Amino acid sequence: MMISREELRDSARKGLGSDGLAPDPVASWDRLVDMGWFALAVPEELGGLGLGAEALAAVHVELGRALVPGAAIAQMAAIEVLCAAPDFADRAALIPAAVAGERIGLSLDAPGRPATGCVIDADQVRQLLLVSPQRIALAPVLGATMVPTWDETRRLGDVAIGAETVIAAGDAARGLYDLATTRVLLALAADAVGGAAAALAMTVDYLKTRRQFDRPLALFQALKHRVADCQIALVAAEALLWSRAAAPLTVAMAGALKARATTMFRDVAEEAVQLHGGIGLTAEHPCHLFLKRAFLDAALAGDADHWNAVAGQSALALVQPAS
Amino acid sequence: MAHPTDVSTTALAGLRADLRAWLAVNRPADWRACATHAEFAASQRDWFRKLVEAGYAIPHWPAEWPGGGRSLAEQKVIYEELARADAPRLLLSFVSTYHAFATLHECGNAEQKARYLPGILRGETWCQGFSEPGAGSDLAAVRTRAERRGDVYAVNGQKVWSTMAQYADRCLLLARTASEGAKQAGLTYFLLDMTAPGVTVRPIHQIQGDEEFAEIFLDNVEIPVTERIGAEGDGWAVAQATLSSERGLTLMELGYRMRGALDRLAALIGETGRTGDAGVQRDFGALTGQVDAVCALADQFLDRRMTGQEQVGDASVVKNAYSRALRAYAALGVRLGGIAAQRREPITYGDLNSGNWMADFMNSYAWTIAGGSEEIQRNIIAERMLGMPREPKGWTAP
Ligand SMILES: Cc1cc2nc3c(=O)[nH]c(=O)nc-3n(C[C@H](O)[C@H](O)[C@H](O)COP(=O)(O)OP(=O)(O)OC[C@H]3O[C@@H](n4cnc5c(N)ncnc54)[C@H](O)[C@@H]3O)c2cc1C
Repeated sequence: MMISREELRDSARKGLGSDGLAPDPVASWDRLVDMGWFALAVPEELGGLGLGAEALAAVHVELGRALVPGAAIAQMAAIEVLCAAPDFADRAALIPAAVAGERIGLSLDAPGRPATGCVIDADQVRQLLLVSPQRIALAPVLGATMVPTWDETRRLGDVAIGAETVIAAGDAARGLYDLATTRVLLALAADAVGGAAAALAMTVDYLKTRRQFDRPLALFQALKHRVADCQIALVAAEALLWSRAAAPLTVAMAGALKARATTMFRDVAEEAVQLHGGIGLTAEHPCHLFLKRAFLDAALAGDADHWNAVAGQSALALVQPAS
Repeated sequence: MAHPTDVSTTALAGLRADLRAWLAVNRPADWRACATHAEFAASQRDWFRKLVEAGYAIPHWPAEWPGGGRSLAEQKVIYEELARADAPRLLLSFVSTYHAFATLHECGNAEQKARYLPGILRGETWCQGFSEPGAGSDLAAVRTRAERRGDVYAVNGQKVWSTMAQYADRCLLLARTASEGAKQAGLTYFLLDMTAPGVTVRPIHQIQGDEEFAEIFLDNVEIPVTERIGAEGDGWAVAQATLSSERGLTLMELGYRMRGALDRLAALIGETGRTGDAGVQRDFGALTGQVDAVCALADQFLDRRMTGQEQVGDASVVKNAYSRALRAYAALGVRLGGIAAQRREPITYGDLNSGNWMADFMNSYAWTIAGGSEEIQRNIIAERMLGMPREPKGWTAP
């Protein structure tokens, strides 16, 4: 890609840096628009930056690290699908509007569930992209019912929609379905890597400063090993993320990545709370924001049970049966 | 799901039948629906009063108390039936009936026992004021000062994480009366009246939306000398009596409750259409074994305690076995619940069985952090049970 991963990371940190953890949702959305991130994957001929999966992952790692609220994962995947659907005439107007921040929703429910549920910021979404392996369609959103979730950084809801406009069917739909699915899974994996990195850094800092028994907690080898285990899982998941982002991805591969990264995030966040002791159970401390985001990441768009089974089946199918 | 029980005598069967019949009429049905903290407290007080009247609230107290003097086998039946009926746990009177009772019973003088134990049965609630911002795992680092001034002690300092302190009438207070010598030797134990001038309580907003614990600020609070338990400097030893109460009997109750709550998990497996999922079958089977082991461990632990065979570290083993099983139980519920389990519910206070799996998961930290964390229990097991050398005491920054 033209802009390196590091450059994207640095500009993201500069852009998000001063806003702190879990910044204001409205201001965050405007910032994403201002930074031009919704144009990241839009081809140059359509006025975008023409960057690929690696750039997408780099951005979502930073959004996860800062616990940025909102629907960037769905918005970016929806924009990519529109860009990859040349036969859909309306896209000429839709893509620039979406790049400018007009919201397109996408269900992040588990595979096989209704496409109108589990839409982030459902009450602000104007259009809903309906994605299935057989059919891709767009529909106006008529109304939304919000569902309160533990993760305060994501507002989920169910939407009611109007007449659908079919964007693709048959083989073309399958290709777009794979694109949307792999992008959502990759973005969730990246979010988990960023979130886990921040939660672990915060925990390591805390152990260095918190004193009990006349010494910093960090001096206890039992606790060093706990954060070292977190670090091993984090670095491994991150390595897998960049390796998957750099090559073509099947849905099964993206699913296995998402399962691994989000499970790792959940484990790291679970440890973060434990290692903070009582303070980690208070609403004033950010520990719980990581814990709740980690659990939601693990549940969105198919959980580890689902994707590990898919990955296992697809790996076994490659093995020649013994004759 | 049927649970194996150890009913062997007609007396036990009779107790079980009586309690079951009583619960069918008296069990509060709507306890998970409390919309406010005040409603929750009221429902807890009401439930405690009913249990006291019926003789089921304090089976672990001695026989001179109405409802006390129950055998271990009887206590088990009571906990099993309460769990099976999905009755609320006595969260508000937990510290009163376990910690305050054990402390007064073992270390209080006759006058203190006579003054406070009947009050507990009348519904007076207690909280435990041990931890401080600088004294968590390192409890001996308590800095709240108690200075003798004639017939009273003047107390200044801050306590934190005190469960239900905002509802408490009285507090089990650990404070420092001397700063020389070993940290432990300067501690003294007091019974604090929470309505005394200078006591301020600030509830702490928690991650599962509840306000279960609170901070207590003590500003020149006067405690009469008669409200001291043991002598000056005995505080550490008295505190051990308080702490060990929660590691024994409580865990038997909780183990049986968790076994009952496995039904809830089994129902979830059915609702989510995963009864035939081999992976889920295995995980549920493993969890059932884990929970059964906790119950067996708690039984064995109590037998040993009652027969004077308890060894140092035994209680830590039970506590960690329970806290691990509890985490696994809640984690499986969250996993099977999928996105539905990520829905936030209003305040719950349900402990291990709130009706919301994420809330249960977050509540499970109470057992891995409070009352001596899992890590501290591991230290006790390694150092005092397995005889490994202790961490060196002193440390100075290099
Ligand atoms: C739900 C809940 C209810 C509570 N109720 C009460 C109450 O009613 N009254 C009361 O007085 N207190 C109460 N507490 C406080 C509780 O006892 C303390 O939180 C606990 O002792 C841990 O102290 P801390 O929070 O300061 O954590 P810290 O002691 O700072 O510990 C932070 C982390 O470091 C680990 N750690 C510390 N020392 C060591 C070591 N030597 N080796 C290895 N690891 C170590 C801990 O295990 C933990 O993971 C409650 C706590 C909770 C969570």
